[in-house]
Amino acid sequence: MRQHLLTVLILLPLLGVLVSVGYSFAPSRQDFHYKWIALAVTTFTFALSLLLVGGVGAAEFRFEENVNWIGAIGARYHLGVDGISLWLVVLTTLLMPIAILSSWTSIAKRQLSYYVFLLLLESAMIGVFVSLDLLLFYLFFEASLVPMFFLIGIWGGERRIYAAIKFFIYTAVGSLLMLVGIIALYFIYGTFDYAAILAAMSAQTTLLSPNAEFWLFLAFAFAFCIKVPLFPLHTWLPDAHTEAPTAGSVILAGVLLKMGTYGLLRFNLGLFPSMSRQFAWIMITLAVIGIIYGALLAMVQPDVKRLVAYSSVSHMGFVVLGLFSFTEFGMQGALYQMLNHGVSTGALFLFVGFIYERRHTRLITDFGGLATPMPWFSTLFVFASLSSIGLPFLNGFVGEFLIMLGAWTSNAIQHPWIVTMLAATGVIWAAVYMLWMLQRVVFGKTNPTNATLPDLNAREIGLLLPLLILMLVMGVFPRPFLDRSKASVEAVRARVAAPPTGGSFAGNSSRVLRVAP
Amino acid sequence: MNSFLALQFTPPDVSFALIAPELIICVVGVVVMMVDAFARPNQRWVTGSISLAGLLAGAAATIWLWLSWDGASQAFNGMIVLDELRLGFTLVFLIVSALTVLISMVWVENEKLPAGEFHSLLMFATAGMMLMASGGDLVILFLGLEILSIATYVLAGFRRTDVRSNESSLKYFILGSLSSAFLLYGIALTYGATATIGGLPGTTNVAEIARRLNDAQYPPLLFAGAAMMLVGFGFKIATAPFHIWTPDVYEGAPTPVTAFMAAGPKAAGFAAFMRVFVFGFPFAAAASKTISGELHSAWVSVLVVLAIMTMTIGNIAAIVQNNVKRMLAYSSIAHAGYALVGFIAAGAASGVEQRNAAITAVTFYLLTYAVMNFGAFAVVQLIARAGDRRTEVEDYNGIGFRSPALALTLSLFLLSLLGTPLTAGFIGKILVFRAALEQGYVILVVIGVLNTAISAYYYLRLIIVMFFRERTTSWMAPPIPASIAIALVITVAGVLYLGLFPGQVINALQAKPIVTMSLR
Repeated sequence: MRQHLLTVLILLPLLGVLVSVGYSFAPSRQDFHYKWIALAVTTFTFALSLLLVGGVGAAEFRFEENVNWIGAIGARYHLGVDGISLWLVVLTTLLMPIAILSSWTSIAKRQLSYYVFLLLLESAMIGVFVSLDLLLFYLFFEASLVPMFFLIGIWGGERRIYAAIKFFIYTAVGSLLMLVGIIALYFIYGTFDYAAILAAMSAQTTLLSPNAEFWLFLAFAFAFCIKVPLFPLHTWLPDAHTEAPTAGSVILAGVLLKMGTYGLLRFNLGLFPSMSRQFAWIMITLAVIGIIYGALLAMVQPDVKRLVAYSSVSHMGFVVLGLFSFTEFGMQGALYQMLNHGVSTGALFLFVGFIYERRHTRLITDFGGLATPMPWFSTLFVFASLSSIGLPFLNGFVGEFLIMLGAWTSNAIQHPWIVTMLAATGVIWAAVYMLWMLQRVVFGKTNPTNATLPDLNAREIGLLLPLLILMLVMGVFPRPFLDRSKASVEAVRARVAAPPTGGSFAGNSSRVLRVAP
Repeated sequence: MNSFLALQFTPPDVSFALIAPELIICVVGVVVMMVDAFARPNQRWVTGSISLAGLLAGAAATIWLWLSWDGASQAFNGMIVLDELRLGFTLVFLIVSALTVLISMVWVENEKLPAGEFHSLLMFATAGMMLMASGGDLVILFLGLEILSIATYVLAGFRRTDVRSNESSLKYFILGSLSSAFLLYGIALTYGATATIGGLPGTTNVAEIARRLNDAQYPPLLFAGAAMMLVGFGFKIATAPFHIWTPDVYEGAPTPVTAFMAAGPKAAGFAAFMRVFVFGFPFAAAASKTISGELHSAWVSVLVVLAIMTMTIGNIAAIVQNNVKRMLAYSSIAHAGYALVGFIAAGAASGVEQRNAAITAVTFYLLTYAVMNFGAFAVVQLIARAGDRRTEVEDYNGIGFRSPALALTLSLFLLSLLGTPLTAGFIGKILVFRAALEQGYVILVVIGVLNTAISAYYYLRLIIVMFFRERTTSWMAPPIPASIAIALVITVAGVLYLGLFPGQVINALQAKPIVTMSLR
């Protein structure tokens, strides 16, 4: 069982899909049973995924599975987990039961399809983080689009169709170009296998020409930067987040965005270190622009959900900044910030969902003084917001502090202190937009229509608790998290920060990718 | 020695084994006609069952040929060849034909159409397609094409009382004849051009043409002939700018016939097109200023332009369509463009192995296209009801949760046409793009994937209409007859099987090495 653990994790949600569909043919079926099936399956998946934690620590991949899949085109079914992917897998499995609990009462129509799509999405997301075969990775990466497309399109808000199609086409364009890059890599290295390609690069047996590496870096980076989303490519995000149902927003912010930064870390930095160094200043500039621009836009949003969505742009900017600082602090912080963002922003979307369920509006001006009728809600909301701002002793602080420490000491770019100071203003802006929003929503005079709103019930508090506890634990005791990922991150850092001679391309490569026939 | 004299002293080169599949299908066609004429069966499914049995027998014969393979061979003095290009395509045609019989079974019944005629015409069309894949001579290729085309003209106009069907048939006939004329003229010019200085008369044998290119007597004629043939074949497989007939013909023809035309004749066109150009005007180093080298680089460059135009025009025009059949027609143009990408790779490949892989990619692509396209048209036909009345996008409004089974299968086919991973369409695209990248056509492949992204818009649009909108008018779920249910099960299973575990099929298509046709 242990050596097939990753396959089991991918297949369990699919099993849940089969059970749900099978159950729908039962004569005495009840619609509310579907969510119980989904909850049971995802909780069990989460419990199983915890088994991974003990096994990972060193830089190499664990729980590996490597069998032939499509021999004719050289694709393998190669899975494995290391310190980089470990926590992302656990984050995924943790957020799923929470997302399902959050839809408990809000999803009344078409429950079967809703939970089926959520379960399919979980399979695909776990697959993305554990695939070590590029084609398999692409497959899961693209497959995760379809369930999300349906979740937004069927159960979303007013402009759901526009948001769903924008989401799909934006991400599809990027990932299709990555597919070309993947096939090109196949022709240079004769395999889709990530580990094998990396080994061939490290052993300097096959090296890329600068020209080939340039285009390959771009092909991969474009796909991931759309997903993150990095500054000029972010416009799909506010629409998708705002229109998605609560659970969809939680998953989108919590996990789907991480696929982008995970891809940047694993593939761009890992496979194309020389080009990563050359592109570092561009990526960092865009990240810093994203941090400030996202924060400024968040400030002026009249809609709470849109505000949280734009804050994501800002937070993910920090992650990219950390990744391209090429320092241990920065990269570890970036990985940590991915988890933080999943936990905190996921929680914020849940809060927005709770008040939307009660009032059917998300406009800040419709609220005010919620503290009186909803004390539990208000307390916890403020707590989660502070975590998102980055208050010391809460998780956001650790991540952002590490990233800025890394950026300050980085030698990936010149004058890193300018970048760090600009990025630091992002934290201040975060305090401004979050606190201002809190002031207008939670405090102040109670709007008479809100005076009778019921406070959070046991289910809602229960599903928030794991996230709130994590915020605190990750804020005061980050060591166990960082220790597990340290070796893997260090391996990537050592590769990407090496002097140019140790990089991926040499002056004259035997196989040069032709751009035109 | 004069070759005409030599012929009289050698025994005729006859091998019935080599044309067994074609013979079986022709005989079945005649049998179906006779049964219909003399037995006058009251049950319409009788002729359909005979046709299905015949197609199975044809498939068995093909597989027998495949298993008893010991290198490429030929018969009838090179008129008929047996190589891997033929076998893979022959199976595709048989599958297409069998699916057509299945999805048309109930339609012929409901529309009170003469079933016997329909099935025998379909069998003759199938025989024509098979000849187009097995012919090693321009004359046989043309013969196959005409057998196919004439049967298809009639099939397109099969709903005699319907004006749209008549229009479709007539348009197809006029433009099809024009393209046949182009093709024939091209064949004639090639024949004339390949007469050698040594006194040999011209030839229409594809392998012989390849050998004579460099000492052709009239090189300019050769170029003109190749260009004419390219236009002729371009019409048949509907590449832009020769695609103008496609949308009208596909929209007007009865839905099962449209499904057939989009998958079968198109694949047959590809088979013959590849036979003539990849084998007849084969790769020659472009650096050497030989006639064969110049001809080769000329047609490959022209095809690159055609492929780019075809993909782009097909996809962009599909976006603005409001009729589902018309949209699928434009989508079929776009798919011909993707298949052309693989064709180009086969043409540009210098080694036999790479060419082999590229041809396999095209065959596999057309196989997956046939399967998913048939699935989609089967659902479209069910929803359109009698007389093909409901084919507007509006008719699909909100049916997703009213008929979940139909809507989900249609969505699966659309996602596969789009090329989403885990479906057949994805593997097909990977194969053709991979083949083209191997030959260094990076720009072409990038244009291809960007086109895939464009196509997402119109494929998803139908899914959106079905699932994301609410239905305002009443909707009665159409009953699903058994034969269509079988066809849907086969196509769904095919899409998933080819998408998840395509290894075996690809291996089977690739296992036999293509031996060059220079046997004689």
